[in-house]
Amino acid sequence: MTRSFSWLYLAIAFGFIYLPVGALVLFSFQDGGLPVPPFNGPSLRWYGEVLSDRNVTSALFHSLLVAVGSSAIAVMLGFFAAYGLARYVLPGSVFIRALLIAPLTVSYLIVGLGLLIVLTRMGLGLSLITVGIGHVVINLPLAFAIIYASMGAQHENAERAARDLGATEAWVLLLVTAPMLSPAIAAAFFLSVTLSWDEFIIAFLLTRFDITLPVEIWSMLRSGLSPSLNAIGSFVFLISVAALLLLELTVLRRRK
Amino acid sequence: MSASVFLSGLSHWFDDFQVLNGINLEIAAGEYVALLGPSGCGKTTLLSVLGGFIQPTDGQVWIGSTDMTNVLPAKRPTTTMFQDYALFPHMSLRDNVSFGLRMAGTPRRQRYRLADEKLDLVGLKADGSKRPHELSGGQRQRIALARALAVEPQVLLLDEPLGALDLKLRRAMQDELKDIQRQVGTTFVHVTHDQEEAMAIADRIIVMNAGRVEDVGPPARIYREPATLFTADFMGEMNHIDVRIINSKVETVLGLTDSLDLPDGVGKLCVRPEALSIDGNGRSLGNVILQDATFLGSYIRARFAPTDAPDQILVAHLPPTQTPKTGTVLKMYVETNSFCYFPDNMEKQN
Repeated sequence: MTRSFSWLYLAIAFGFIYLPVGALVLFSFQDGGLPVPPFNGPSLRWYGEVLSDRNVTSALFHSLLVAVGSSAIAVMLGFFAAYGLARYVLPGSVFIRALLIAPLTVSYLIVGLGLLIVLTRMGLGLSLITVGIGHVVINLPLAFAIIYASMGAQHENAERAARDLGATEAWVLLLVTAPMLSPAIAAAFFLSVTLSWDEFIIAFLLTRFDITLPVEIWSMLRSGLSPSLNAIGSFVFLISVAALLLLELTVLRRRK
Repeated sequence: MSASVFLSGLSHWFDDFQVLNGINLEIAAGEYVALLGPSGCGKTTLLSVLGGFIQPTDGQVWIGSTDMTNVLPAKRPTTTMFQDYALFPHMSLRDNVSFGLRMAGTPRRQRYRLADEKLDLVGLKADGSKRPHELSGGQRQRIALARALAVEPQVLLLDEPLGALDLKLRRAMQDELKDIQRQVGTTFVHVTHDQEEAMAIADRIIVMNAGRVEDVGPPARIYREPATLFTADFMGEMNHIDVRIINSKVETVLGLTDSLDLPDGVGKLCVRPEALSIDGNGRSLGNVILQDATFLGSYIRARFAPTDAPDQILVAHLPPTQTPKTGTVLKMYVETNSFCYFPDNMEKQN
């Protein structure tokens, strides 16, 4: 009895989470002008439309570029920060650590507005690079926290052994520390990619001509609902899932 | 491929706590030395100073004829075998062993050949492409040894290398370490808190206590004629007998007034349990009553109370074939020349 209740609860919980996504994906195959029931189809018409829209494809490409680029930079900076704080006794290291994590608590709107003010004051034009900077700001704390948490003392001894065997600091980082932490580094990277990939507010505030996909979707939304938006949404979902799967595969495979 | 080590006036403080206190030591090239002492005696710190991981507050470290006190670990002719092995989990065994050669710029083909030689030396030649997690504890230990030896160090530092292994494997690895040391001829400095391991493995034992060197010498001498009461107790079980010598007359609760030539003073006479017997050889210690006996395989550990001094418990190791009953009165004998004498104020003289 209780067992069937738990299954029911599980089904409802997952239904609550995934039904909207399912509906979105389903109506992307709608054969008609509106993504509302009844469902006619399936049809790949809207996918064709979306993929032939230069604005959408270039926004998709921009989003990928920003996601991968900003995540790579955030992870690299986070890794160096974690290494420094985990391995060396620094004055005020608790304070530095808190300062590194703090941006997590600041709303994206504030981060975006702050950067917008600073960047325009400095006379820097808005571009994909400025969005990238914004995404590094929001992803760095996360990358730092993930990598710092997995930087244990057992790695420290391997680093000592490497130094003892004649390795310089650069070789230690490249050949010992980074490979040993690769699960954490991969986790931080893919998480950053998914977060940057569908981030809207900062991207909206810090772009002008080259825009990312969420911003493109927003501008399309202003002209009303269309199954083409569902098609784009499905794409976004697919790429996020792919990033997560890649993360699961790389991290879990190493744990085995 | 081996160098001598010379330590002079070595002292080290961790904040206000002095871990090393005026250490002077000489280790000959090609020697196998054990640094022995209880936890917290400073032996691991001393090894870290030798390896270059800790800069001593005071004193000098010479390796061969070079002052190495302020030289980084990477530039020293020493390698360390860490307690937890510290293997690189993401590299094959061959890459682990050849890591030091890679850092020295040896071409891949040559360093793999040298790594295979070292893998062969430790009996793991066929496993070069495996990863550390596929190995047992003893095998990891061997890889750590091969990796440390691959760069042909002049001094190999071993930090409690056998601590994580079970007893049987530990005994086997002791023999193996000694064999390998003879083959490569490198100076080995081996830290341990296990006195049996130290005696089994070392040419010379350095006993440490509270940051000082208590005693230095070959195992038999350290065991049979310890320089200090601490060493005497640390190397194995000891019977302590209070003694007072006035005008060359020896007074103890057990009699023993004759033929001990000792200076006047108050102190302790020490005798090992295996020097006591009930078979009639040696000097008599008078009648004793058996309190209890424990069978320990190769011997019986028996506790006796002398009839004249019931508070002076004596522990003896009897052959396992003798099984006297508890409460029996027996005559106890002691091997001649098996006593060590330590005056009570000796600690202060040091």
